[in-house]
Amino acid sequence: MEGASSNGVLSKLSLLEVEARSRGSHPQPQQSRVKELKAKVEALKTKRDQLKAELQTHKLLQRLRLSEVNHSEEEDMDEDSESSRVLRLMARHSELTDLLRAHRLIGGYEVVKTHQGKGVCMSIATGYEGVYLDTYNLEMDTNPKVRISRHNIPPFIPLDTLAEQSDLQTGIRTFLDTLSQHLNAYVGRRQQLKLMKEQHKSVEVMESNILCSMLVLMFTMPEQVAVLCLLDYKDLSRCLPTQVKLDCEDEKLTDSPQWKKSCSLLLELPVHRALTAMKKMGTVV
Amino acid sequence: MKRGMKLLVGVLVRIPGLMFPCEEEEEMMREENTEELEVLEAQIKHLQAEVKGLHQQLQEEDCRNITFNFEGPMKEALAFMCGLTEGEGKEVVVSKLEEEVEQLERKIKLQIQINGISVTRCITKTLDHSGRKEVQLFCISGHCSGLDFQVEFKLSEVQEHQRTVNELNVVLDSKDPQSFSSFLSRVEENNNLLLFFRTLRTFSDRCADRTRAFQHFQEKFPSVVSLPGGCRSEVMRLSHPELSGCVFFVYWSFEVSTEGAVILKIRLLPKIPEQALQFYSQPAGGAAEAFQSLLRTLGPEATIESVIRGVGLLPDAEPSS
Repeated sequence: MEGASSNGVLSKLSLLEVEARSRGSHPQPQQSRVKELKAKVEALKTKRDQLKAELQTHKLLQRLRLSEVNHSEEEDMDEDSESSRVLRLMARHSELTDLLRAHRLIGGYEVVKTHQGKGVCMSIATGYEGVYLDTYNLEMDTNPKVRISRHNIPPFIPLDTLAEQSDLQTGIRTFLDTLSQHLNAYVGRRQQLKLMKEQHKSVEVMESNILCSMLVLMFTMPEQVAVLCLLDYKDLSRCLPTQVKLDCEDEKLTDSPQWKKSCSLLLELPVHRALTAMKKMGTVV
Repeated sequence: MKRGMKLLVGVLVRIPGLMFPCEEEEEMMREENTEELEVLEAQIKHLQAEVKGLHQQLQEEDCRNITFNFEGPMKEALAFMCGLTEGEGKEVVVSKLEEEVEQLERKIKLQIQINGISVTRCITKTLDHSGRKEVQLFCISGHCSGLDFQVEFKLSEVQEHQRTVNELNVVLDSKDPQSFSSFLSRVEENNNLLLFFRTLRTFSDRCADRTRAFQHFQEKFPSVVSLPGGCRSEVMRLSHPELSGCVFFVYWSFEVSTEGAVILKIRLLPKIPEQALQFYSQPAGGAAEAFQSLLRTLGPEATIESVIRGVGLLPDAEPSS
């Protein structure tokens, strides 16, 4: 009624009249429309009040969160009221949720206890240069001995050897660190190969293996000299090759400084970047 | 004709003092209804605009500061704050929220325990949310053993599974910033967030190993070993209790390669007076080189122990094995 009253006596009178009439005669189509609109007004008012309250809650939560360090700001809040308690809980909840999210984002091992604490589930995140890639999971029994029961780690990753090398019974962290290093190195090599295929269409991949630990490429040097390039990734915990071999029919070329520079680039940089650098130098077409 | 009449009355009604119930009643009522409808419609328009404005404000709020995620108990708590919960429902909301907060606390504790990295603050801000793409700004700080870190980056998420880190910025409060500098600039250049944290963890583990080793030597050879910078520093001082002029320093430091490998660097620096060197020059002068070759074959702990035993620093009373 708030809105109607603000429009003066006239509306009020007409409203009374309408009411009086509706008691006697049949409601007219316009009257039902009035009812409809009134309901809509009420609904909108409720919505508005809700949004206002929501906005207010947001602002208070913001203040609570930002004053995590500086607690003096909280003083003007009513200490005892139920709503301020809920607000505090909400702020803590959102803070903890964000912290957990941060843990995940920075690649922390995510641990979940299973079977009433008898075992644990661990996730290992992998990524390459800012792109998040596969997440791998391990389930471990901790009672009576630490033992890997299930996992989705690719079979070509030497899981058992890694588990033997780092003593699972004393420190699970060392094992997870090495495993994570191997997994990240693997997805890193795989991602490099993918990027190289995307960025260097003229380079032909002659051979590669599933572990991406060996790569044979064919590219063309100026004057149409075809070069065979063998990249060997012997250290499986690294993304970069341990050995680079270039091969071509023109023997003079193998002694050129350009050639040596290419070799060192391929050893120092990820393959797609090394090729970009070589292209810039004019070593590769 | 009817329309003209309506208009006329409309005008009449709007002029105060000219209002007379002179028209036919039916007509009058319809007229007043129209009037009311107009008022109501105007009100609705006004409210709709207000609601829209509030929606926008809420969105802006998300972008200006922290982005909140209202799901599950948080959604119910928000409803509570908006006065939509009544009676016993209130208690349920609070206890559910409390329970989940406790659960989250336990989860965080477990992650810190396993990871050794403690994130103490994380603020998120939504920068862009259009269609399937969402860009959020993250500011995360915490510590890993004694090393304080702060990272800031943009996370772009296209649908569920394509997540990319951009514009990574890393601040590391390390006592030895030199060993990290080239690694850090490479990490920032390539947005290699995960590598940074893997390396940070390895680095702090190696530092912990060093601390343990230093403490071990100090306990085993208390009269010879002293740690001028404390057990967390990189220097260990070896000296004979009665020959104060003759000192060996062991510098145990690390270098981080651009690939993130933590490389151990141990050096032995003898400090022997000139006169003494005349008698002693051969073994002591070449100590630094001999030390490196021992290091390669024996490893750090055994090498340091053999230095302590070998160069006659031990007074006779010390245990020999």
